Amino acid sequence: MVDDGSSDETASVAARLGFTVLPTAVNLGIGGAVQTGYLWARERGYDVAVQMDADGQHDPGQLEAVLAPVKRGELSVVVGSRFIEAGGYRSTALRRMGIRYLSWFLRLRCGARVSDPTSGYRAADRRAIELFARSYPSDYPEPESIAIAVRNGLRVGEVPIVMARRAHGESSITAWRTLYYLVKVSLALILLPARPPRTSHGG
Amino acid sequence: MNTAAPLPREIQILGSAVLIAFLGWLVRLVRTQKVTLRDSLLWLLSTLTALAVTLRPELLARASRLLDVQVPSNALFGAAILYLSFNLVSLTIGSSMNAASLRRLAQECAILRGELEALRRQGQPPGDLPGR
Repeated sequence: MVDDGSSDETASVAARLGFTVLPTAVNLGIGGAVQTGYLWARERGYDVAVQMDADGQHDPGQLEAVLAPVKRGELSVVVGSRFIEAGGYRSTALRRMGIRYLSWFLRLRCGARVSDPTSGYRAADRRAIELFARSYPSDYPEPESIAIAVRNGLRVGEVPIVMARRAHGESSITAWRTLYYLVKVSLALILLPARPPRTSHGG
Repeated sequence: MNTAAPLPREIQILGSAVLIAFLGWLVRLVRTQKVTLRDSLLWLLSTLTALAVTLRPELLARASRLLDVQVPSNALFGAAILYLSFNLVSLTIGSSMNAASLRRLAQECAILRGELEALRRQGQPPGDLPGR
């Protein structure tokens, strides 16, 4: 578990339960924290890495479904999408519009067909672990990381999942930040590196 | 027009004194290793240029004639704006590179702390821990 400057007891509880905790010395933000997990997976030679939100939105019971295409060797990156099948929490109307726009823009920029590009429920195979350990965006990284994977020749796809409302905490993305999110991610997708990046970068 | 009005002696003395003091401060910053020589180069060069122009204002008039700028002070403002923009971009590049390095260091630190903790749990005293 990557402890990116949490102020509650999360890290000590996880350590007591026997999980390895990776405490970052400074707050890195979501991109830096997730990449720390991928670096750990690469160091340890993991075949598969899975990321999921810790706020109760993602059901660990659906892990098998998310992992299946990677296990079968069909996809390198699998995104759990709440929009393929009906049911579950589907976010506010404004955010759904933003997500639909990002999905369209991703397809336009790199041909990725992902209906829920902001979903953080993902599985990655060894090639994707290697890539994300090398290059992962800093803030609002989910859509851009899909583009980076596609640009580097990885197969990216999605499977249906059902998301719940978050049980704890609040989204860091407020109404104003939604606009900033869209502008920032659009710019990142427009300015995607032409060649595969060789080092980690901040977005 | 393009004529350089002579710079009043008082302005010349005051300007030169300020620039020499600034130059002395820069040199002190480099010698006390608060600024690296590489990072101070732009400042040193620009301050020396400003000092040369203060002591010999006709240099500015000659440069503005070369650039076909009518009023030498406009050439000075143009050069200053260009220089400051260039300096700001180079600072932004430095800041971005530092942020990337800091992120990488913090990640490496977190991984090492995680590995250390995992080894401690396996019962190995820190002195016997193998290198990575």
